Amino acid sequence: MAALDKPAAPRSGANTVIGSSIVIDGEISGDEDLIIEGTVKGKIALRQSLYVENSGVIEADIETANVEVSGQVTGNIAATDKVELKADCKVVGDIRAPRILIADGAAFKGNVDMEMGVRAPSPRGK
Amino acid sequence: MATANGSTVIGESILINGNLQGDEDLTVRGRVEGTVTLTRTLVVEPTGVVKAEVQVKNCIIAGVVIGNVTASESVEITKEGRMVGDISAPRVIIVDGASFRGRVDMGEVDVSAAERGERPAARALARPATRPALAARPARTLAKEEASAEAASPAAPRPPAPPPSFGMGALKRKVVVKRK
Repeated sequence: MAALDKPAAPRSGANTVIGSSIVIDGEISGDEDLIIEGTVKGKIALRQSLYVENSGVIEADIETANVEVSGQVTGNIAATDKVELKADCKVVGDIRAPRILIADGAAFKGNVDMEMGVRAPSPRGK
Repeated sequence: MATANGSTVIGESILINGNLQGDEDLTVRGRVEGTVTLTRTLVVEPTGVVKAEVQVKNCIIAGVVIGNVTASESVEITKEGRMVGDISAPRVIIVDGASFRGRVDMGEVDVSAAERGERPAARALARPATRPALAARPARTLAKEEASAEAASPAAPRPPAPPPSFGMGALKRKVVVKRK
């Protein structure tokens, strides 16, 4: 993937797009990138990247490799690689991922866990 | 916002299980199971599989559809298309090579007018694009068999229509009663 920086740039590499007027109530799973501009309720399980655009609204638990949120997410996010909360996003839920980025302007409420099950003693711990 | 409005694509490896509704065109290359409700066009591409109750304006099937399709305008099964289920739409196009099992309901079909050889002019004008492909082959064979130009000409535009539509109408009534 070439451009992962600007939310305004259309991600032409991904071939699954949920458009802004679409409402999905159920489960989405797959092995490719997914761009959400509409509404998804239920569950999302991917092995690639999930992009929640400005108009996107998610009320679902998310399991993917990468998540990039510019819209709204209500639900827990578990990523094997990275979660990025962009400016103007609204996220309520717990995030679990080895890398978590929260940009200035992002609204977030929930727990953050970067340990991903590795219970190594952290500097602040014991 | 980022991409042009009215373009939703479900990619090949994606599976959606549940209800899907919207006001834009939807292209399915992966799998969708559950219900699909759109105010615009559903396109099922050759790699696409839809196992759902479908309610749309237009439906173009080049992949697999299992379930009932209700369209307010048209349903077209292309030569790669495979479908099992009932179709309810004013215009139904099934091309050569398509595979389909199920009932077709095109709404009110004026059988008595067709039997008399009277075709409502408005209807013939309103559906110019749909008929030629459908009627091309049957019209030729019918003309050959009957060899009577006078009898063939009024029936030629849609020769298979009167008897099957009559039979399907009867069947539909029966099923409706059964469901209640």
